[in-house]
Amino acid sequence: MADTLPLAEARSLVARARSGDLAALEQLYRTYEGPVYTLARRLTHSEDDAEDVLQDTFLEVCRSLKQWRGEEGGGGTLWGWIRTIAASKAMMRYRREKLREWEPLEEEGAAAGSGVAVSAPEDVPLKMDLEAALARLPERSRAVVWLHDVEGYTHEEIAELMGMTTSFSKSQLARAHERLRQWLGAGVGA
Amino acid sequence: MSEIRHGTMEELLALRDGEGGGSAWVRGHVAACAACAAELERLEQVRSQLRALPPFAVPRDRWPAVRASFVAERRRRRLVRWSGVLAAAAALVLTFAVLRHPQAISPEDVALQQAMAESATMEQVFQSLHPDRRALSGQTATVVAELEDQLAQVDASLNDTVAYRRDPEQVAALWKQRAGLLSALVDVHETRATIAGL
Repeated sequence: MADTLPLAEARSLVARARSGDLAALEQLYRTYEGPVYTLARRLTHSEDDAEDVLQDTFLEVCRSLKQWRGEEGGGGTLWGWIRTIAASKAMMRYRREKLREWEPLEEEGAAAGSGVAVSAPEDVPLKMDLEAALARLPERSRAVVWLHDVEGYTHEEIAELMGMTTSFSKSQLARAHERLRQWLGAGVGA
Repeated sequence: MSEIRHGTMEELLALRDGEGGGSAWVRGHVAACAACAAELERLEQVRSQLRALPPFAVPRDRWPAVRASFVAERRRRRLVRWSGVLAAAAALVLTFAVLRHPQAISPEDVALQQAMAESATMEQVFQSLHPDRRALSGQTATVVAELEDQLAQVDASLNDTVAYRRDPEQVAALWKQRAGLLSALVDVHETRATIAGL
């Protein structure tokens, strides 16, 4: 996801939004609702959850915009800041709902640690497309894959977001890729 | 008989992602092992394909709900600030009343004190629900906004401290109304919390 606002425009918009200008806040919402919703869909298991994350995220943006230090102040890009809020909101849902969906993957245990499966796995490959395979992953595993492989988060950052260890993030990523490999077959069908 | 060990998924991912460049062993192994090199290439392809997946379209406009919640919060913060000012003003009026007639506190003063105490209690209950941290649905946010508008009107009337001398019973009635509105706000938030299982 790229930053969708040029720096100068973002600066002016944020200055107005910080003063409580609702039109500027709406413009921020319109600019980032798509990327935030897409991220939320990847990190949650339903449209409704993703919409709730979208709403929670922008309510937090409206409340906390004054705290964003700006790029020149070391606060990172505006999109990076909003994205972190969105990811946090999605992760808070895991904690609140006490989801335990990732456990089945952990139970597969040795698979990820005992050498890569360079031959075809025992299971018959399902040859599903990448979108379907991604959706089939348990929620937390999918979140790790998305945050790491697409959004570029480090394992340390993911661990912090999820309240887990970096080892957990690494092993979830490896196990998720094992699964994707099984479901996608040898080639990658998008 | 020597056993061939291939790179683990975790090792190949670390190599792919440049995290420490992967271990020296796995780098050397991938250079010599066609299967692991192919797997590494496949992992790179998966990452590229993931990044190329299309974005989702937002199904419903959530801005009205965000806006309503934010405006209600902002109004609430102002109300909280005002309530302190109002309480101080009312206390001042009462003090003057008592100073002017130290021998007896009138029934109107007692009624006003009771109404203020009731309002303060409801304010505490309301704040204990942390309304600022709650995201409200569009419909709930509308109800909350209406109640808060009424509260703002009551507060504006209460801000007129001269009114006490003019009509003390009316001021007590306003404080009672304030307590009632806060009670309704508490009900809305508590009902929503129950439904949401919070």
